[in-house]
Order: sequence, then structure tokens, then C-alpha cells
Amino acid sequence: MTKTIVLSDVTKTYGDQTALAGINLTVEEGAFCVLLGPSGCGKSTLLRLISGLEPPGHGDIQLNGETVADPANGVWVQPGKRHLGMVFQSYALWPHKTARENIDWPLRIAGLRFDDRAKRVTEVADILNLGPYLDRYPSALSGGQQQRVAIARAIAPRPRLLLFDEPLSNLDAQLRVEMRAELLNLHQKTGATIVYVTHDQMEAMTMATQIVVLNDGRIEQDDDAQTVISRPQTAFVAKFVGNPPGNLITLGQTADRWAMADLSGLAGKLSADDHAFQAMVRPEKVRLHADAGPRRRAFRVIEQLPFGAEHLVRLDGDTGRMTALGPVLPCVRNGATVYAELPELPDAIFDDQGERIA
Amino acid sequence: MISPSGAGGAFLRRQQMSSQGLTAGAQVLLGHLVLVPLAGIAAALASPAGMDAISDVFTGRIARNMLWVPLTNTFLIGFVVALACLLLGGFLAWLVTMTDMPLRGPIGVLAALPFMIPTFAVALSWTVLFGDDRLGQSSMGFFAQLGFDVPSWLAWGGVPVTIVLIAHLYSIAYLMIVAALVLVGRDLTAAAEIAGAPRSQILRNIVFPVVTPTLIAAGALCFAEAVSSFSAPAILGLPVRFHTLATRAYGAIETGSPERGFVLIAVMILVAGAFLALSALAQRRGQAFTTVTGKAGHRGRTSLGVWGWPLALTATTVVVLTTIVPALALVFSSLSAQTGALFADPTLHFWIGQSDPGIAQGQAGILRNPQLVLAFWTTLAIGLMTGIAAMLCGLIVGTAISKERYPLRRSLLEQVSFLPLLIPGLAIGAAFISFYGAPIGPLPSLYGTPTILVIAGVAATLPFAVQAVATAREQVARELEESARIAGASQVRILGAITIPLTASKLIAGFVLVFVKMVRDLDLVILLYTPQLPLLTVLAFRYASDGFAQFAHAIAAVILVISVAAHLLASGLGRNAQPWLKDQ
Repeated sequence: MTKTIVLSDVTKTYGDQTALAGINLTVEEGAFCVLLGPSGCGKSTLLRLISGLEPPGHGDIQLNGETVADPANGVWVQPGKRHLGMVFQSYALWPHKTARENIDWPLRIAGLRFDDRAKRVTEVADILNLGPYLDRYPSALSGGQQQRVAIARAIAPRPRLLLFDEPLSNLDAQLRVEMRAELLNLHQKTGATIVYVTHDQMEAMTMATQIVVLNDGRIEQDDDAQTVISRPQTAFVAKFVGNPPGNLITLGQTADRWAMADLSGLAGKLSADDHAFQAMVRPEKVRLHADAGPRRRAFRVIEQLPFGAEHLVRLDGDTGRMTALGPVLPCVRNGATVYAELPELPDAIFDDQGERIA
Repeated sequence: MISPSGAGGAFLRRQQMSSQGLTAGAQVLLGHLVLVPLAGIAAALASPAGMDAISDVFTGRIARNMLWVPLTNTFLIGFVVALACLLLGGFLAWLVTMTDMPLRGPIGVLAALPFMIPTFAVALSWTVLFGDDRLGQSSMGFFAQLGFDVPSWLAWGGVPVTIVLIAHLYSIAYLMIVAALVLVGRDLTAAAEIAGAPRSQILRNIVFPVVTPTLIAAGALCFAEAVSSFSAPAILGLPVRFHTLATRAYGAIETGSPERGFVLIAVMILVAGAFLALSALAQRRGQAFTTVTGKAGHRGRTSLGVWGWPLALTATTVVVLTTIVPALALVFSSLSAQTGALFADPTLHFWIGQSDPGIAQGQAGILRNPQLVLAFWTTLAIGLMTGIAAMLCGLIVGTAISKERYPLRRSLLEQVSFLPLLIPGLAIGAAFISFYGAPIGPLPSLYGTPTILVIAGVAATLPFAVQAVATAREQVARELEESARIAGASQVRILGAITIPLTASKLIAGFVLVFVKMVRDLDLVILLYTPQLPLLTVLAFRYASDGFAQFAHAIAAVILVISVAAHLLASGLGRNAQPWLKDQ
């Protein structure tokens, strides 16, 4: 498979603030790559570097095998020459142009003949069901329609790479679900490689073939969706990803922490000195009981939420907060005391740097 | 870090360099337009003659008449005007935005107009109505002509000056308070209503705190405008030797003791500037509130019940008295053989009449008078040039501000460009005389040239130009240009197809605003004009003080029409010149 995007050791700083630190990333052709992370983690900056709206401070960027930015060797390709389309969070529709003119203008810039342009506008308008709205100004379109125009404008010149910067965050929940399906559909129809920035992990999980979790300007993990959930590489990923996210348990010997003995299977893996480490236990592996027992700790029930056929229970205790997911139990009532039992082995163990060690 | 040999680096460096160039350009402009002239006043004061003037003005024999009495008058006028404007403007704003008063639509529109009518026109219209025979038979006003005995304190001096300033400035307070009340989202008051608060308490505990910063700002602005006004006290005060700081300063500079004038100007700047600076502080602290803007959806209006029509009549009276009546007074006076005898003996002489030795010492009607025709074209030309120059400077300074990345330098540029707002027009005129009035090195003196008028006009209107550029730039979100870049458009093409179409109407609106400020201005140009360079406002002022009232009134009527029309054009351009916003 060919590689659409290759970033090597890319760094970006603003003044003395580091936005991105040593990013290495490869995106295969045809991938749906989601950059996932909390706000301020650098995901939008990464997208702007790929698009060419900003130059990297350091490192090089290749698109479709061609180096487009390499400050050390004086290589720089303008965004307009990178053959990509971009959809902005704010849609960035030109307010003084109708939907049709918005879609048409980039084709004009690209130098297409009038007939070809008209044909292409009709084509993409069909794909995105924009027919009836083509002659309206953006201000006369609903949020969802504006979104479609922005996407149509981006795909009209048939770019091989499409960049999306939190495109759905301004839509209501219902529309978001619809647009997700449409974007997947679009991905199949066009075969373009997509890089998609979001902080919404539902979006990431449902669409991505590749998830890149970013935090604080660094890549925490780069895997497919299932792996990111089942085998988080860092404590941050464990805490940030998954619905519900995993429980992080600080291990220790003292009474206010979970003794390592409670997770009895750990004994051979850690030494007594490793008490700053954290173990991840997925909520569905936490079992709740009405009575005390070995490897059980007392918690107070803060709240319980229906979660599919099961219940999500939030707990508070001496060792911190915890979430459990399981069948509805009579002993679980708000304010009641229950006893949580952990599995013998946690799902992951992270060292004091947050790196996975087991 | 950026590698110096990299093209990405080169790209970034180019941007940095152009932003540095812009900043440097903006600094040069601001320096020459704002700081240097002020420094000129300071230098004049620091000279031996200046030091003498300071001690004369503050402690000398003339101190009482020169400084203390005018200062007291100025303060009194300022406070009364500010208070009355807040009450009147606030009352109207409340009626229009928060109640179900009948006719609130048209009343709301009319209440915004006085702001567009030049003060000197209102002052002249006052003399049309209330003038007595102090300046001779020809200055008798409408009521005196009818046989009423108009008391002297109502015809001239502090009382009419105060009333005229209120009639002009209350609409500024009104506009500001309306804007603030609209921000008091329906949700805010609804939440209080649901909590069971009675209306009086909602007003006291919710509405007032939210609009308080605006009230302070509006009060300070009215105060500063009142204390710096020259035309109202000059027209209504000078005939009875009623002085404010502005008229005293003008008198001193005109009669050959400029240093004394500069001392008074400095006091004026301090008084007006201090209040505006205070209000800026108050507003900054109040800023936290303005983020709490509910969407102004369906507004629940207080029902006025049986009071609706009486209040509507009162409000109508106020707005009609401050808009239509002064305009009509000026027009009718210019059409009457005798000022004040408004409907007695209609004549078009003062507009189109041939020179007639029997009337007004042989002066021809204003449309035939070569001096006036020259003044008309000069005024328009100066206004146009100032508008263009101010917008160019505004573009440079405004763009420099938005591109400057160092917060300290950016805020310095911002502060200095808004400084002229704190300086009375008369003071800016004085500053330009003191600095550009004398030859500078090889450059000749600019005094008496159109250049000095244009430069001074640019300095005085720079805050508006910079503001217009800033609003225009806000119109274009960064992404709009970026998406064009990604489509492969060149910088020139982006400018032509995206940036200019989106900003043009705001920039033109800014230009019109500067133009009209210049056309109707008297305070700024009164010290700078020369007979070779006649301006409409100055001529109107001269005619009025020389007793050719109807000519003055005819000119004032012309300026009034230009001013209101241009203002309406500017606000229309600002709001409606974007068809893509209309077809919702």
C-alpha cells in the first residue's frame, strides 16, 4: 500500500510554547485516520501543518511520496499545490457567494472549463443532496446544509486527501449521527484518504480505520479503534478513551491505596517498590457485592445510570472514585454501601511515567 | 525552531517582516499624527513664555477670569449635561426597548438622529427661536418677534449652552444604553421572574448592575463631549461673555497669547481625558458581564397601561424638539427676511438672491456668493481627502494592530490610536498649530494649507477609521482566506475575490463617517482655517457672530442635511450593504 502522509519528527512551537513535539506519523492511502485528543492537545495544529496553512518548525512532511515541507532542506509547497481538500469547524463558507459559487470557485481556480465545472458541481451536489439549495447564500442554509456545502466544496476538485477539522461539533446530536454515516459513505465513494480531527471519541470509534490519540503535543497511541480501547498504551489513553473510560487505580502498600495484594495476580509482575504505578481495570470487570469479602472494598454509590441493558454505577470510597458496569443489582441504591471486587489481573499496568509495562 | 535556510522558514520570515514593516509604519503615523503635536503643546508650555503663561493663568491677576470662572462653568455644564443625558437617554432607551409604549418604533429612530446633527446647528437654531435683541434687531428670535419677553438667561449663556448640549448628546447616551439593554437577555430577567422577584427588584438587582458599566461610560462620554465643545458656548455664550475653557482658549490663541491658550487646552485635555479614562476602567471591570449575553429572543415588555400614551407623547415631544424643530427653525429662518419672524415675510434672498445693498450689506444669497461656493467645494474636498487619508492610515494601523504578535506592542498601538478620542477637537487644532504651524527644518510651515487641515482631520478621526478597519477585518474570519488558499488561489486573487468584497461596505461606511465628521466639524478647524481656505462651518460661525443670521442658518441647514444623510448612509452601509445576509 502506498503511504499518503508521512510525518517525520515534526515539531511546532509558538513563542516558547510547544504545540507539537517530535511527531512521527504514517497514514496509508484510503485510510480514515482520526486525530483524537482533548482541546489544546495539538491535533488542529497537526492538521494545519499537513494542509500547509502553517510551516513546521522542524521535521519533514511527505504527501503522496512528495516532500511538501522540509525546512532543513528549503522545501516548501504551498497549500494550494498539495491537492487536498479541507473542511473547517466553522465551515468557512464564503458568505458573499451562493452554495453553487462556493463549490464552483475552487474549480475555477484549478482552471477547469465552464462545462466541466457545471457538471462537477451537479455531481457533488447530488452526492450530498444539495440540489434544491444550490442558489442560496450560506446565511439562508441550516447548519447541516452549510456543512454539506463545505464538504461538497472540499471534494469537488477530487483531492486525494481530505482534511476535516472538527466538522460535526456545531451540529445537533441527531444531525451528527446522520452526517457520520454520510461521511463514511463519502469515504467509500471517493476512496480519498481522510484525516479527521475530533475530541469526540464516539465519532472516532465509529468512523476511524486508524486512531491517533494526541495529548500535550505528543502521540500517545496510534492504532485501530479496537486496539486503542482494549490495549491502551498509556495511562492517558486508558483514562481518555472508552465508553465508559477505564478505572485507573494507584497501587500501593498503605491503607489509603489499593494494596497490590487485592489484585492477586499482580504479585509476580511488580515488586513492592512499584507503588506509584497505576493499574487499569475496565468497568465491566468490577464486580459489586452486597457483603464484604476477600479482595473486596467498601464504596458508597453516588449514582447509577442505565447503560444499554446494564447499569453504570459511580462509586466513591477511601481509595478514590470508581466506575462499575454490570447487571442491575438489588443492593445498589444511591447512598448505599456496596463492596467492589477487582479481577485478579488488571487490564493494563502503567509505570510512573504513564507508559504501559504490562 | 525555524531553520534559517528553510523555505517554510522563509515564508514565516516574510510574514514576520511584513508585520514588522507594518508596525513600523503604524508607529511613524501615530507618532506624527498624535504624539508629536501633543509634544508640541508640551514643549510650548515648557518654554519660558509657557512657564510665564502657566503662572499667569493659574495665579496671576487674570487667573479668575481666565481659568477659574471658565473652569467652574465648564464643570457645571459637564455635570448637568451628563446627568441629564443619562436620565433622558436612559428613560427613552427603557421606553423603547423594555416597554409596550405606542409609537416606540418611530420614536426609537428619531432618538438616534440628534447625534447626527452638528452642535453648532442646534445652537444656531436656539438663537432662531429664543434670541433677544442683544445683538441688534436682526437677532431677535421667534418668541421675541411674537412679543414675548424672552429673559436674557434663556437667550444667552450657560442655560442655553447646557440645553443645546443635552439636546445633542442625549442621543449618544440613548444609543449606548439601548445597546446595553438589548444585551440584558430575556433569559436574565426571566430567570429572576421565575425566582419570584418583583419587577422593581429585577430592575434594581438585574438590569442596573448589567448596564451600569454602560451608564458610566455614557455619562463620561457626554461629560467629556460637553466640556470640550467649542461651538455651543461660542455661539450662545460669547455674546454675553459667558466663557468655558474652550472659548477662553480660543480667545487667547486668536488674540495673540497662544501659550495661555495652550495652558487652558492642557487643562481641558486633563479634564475630558480623565473622565474618559475612568470610564474605560469602569467598563473593563464590567466586561465580565457582557459575556453573559442571552439571545435576545422574544422580549417580554413591561405593560405601561394607561401611561402608555402620555409617555409616548412626552417622548415624542422630546425627540421632535431635538430633531425636527431645530431643522425647521433653521430652514424657515433662512427663508425669512428677518430672523425669528419665521412666517412673516418669506424670501429666497438668502439662498439665491442677487447682491442688494439694502439687505445684509449687499451680501448675495449663499448659492450665488463666490466665497460660499468656494467654501462648499473646499469643505467637500477637505472632507473627501481626509476620509481617504484617514482610511488609509486606519488600514495601516488597524492591520498592524491585528498582525502584531507582541501583546505589549499591540496594546500600545491600540492605546495611542484611540488617544485622539480623549482630546477635544479644539485641542487637536491647537496642537497642530503649535507644531506644524512653524517651518520644520527644510519643510515650510503648513499653516494656511489644506494639508494641515487634512492631517489634523486624520488625527482627530483616526480612532473611527481604525475601528472601522477592525470591524471590517472581523467580518473576514481567518478560515475564509485559508480555504481559498487551500483551493490554490493566489494572494491577489484572495484579496480581490474574498477579502475586499467582504470588507468593502464596512470600509466605505468608515470613510463616510470620517467624511461627515470633517464636513460638519467646527471645533477642530476653527483654529486652522484661513480666509483663503474657507470652510462651511467656519463661515456659518462667522456669519452668525457678525449678525448675518440667515446666511448662517442657511449654511447650517445645508450641513445638517449633509450630515444626517451621510450618517444614515454610513449606518445603512454598515448594516445592509450585504445582500447575502438579507435573504434569510
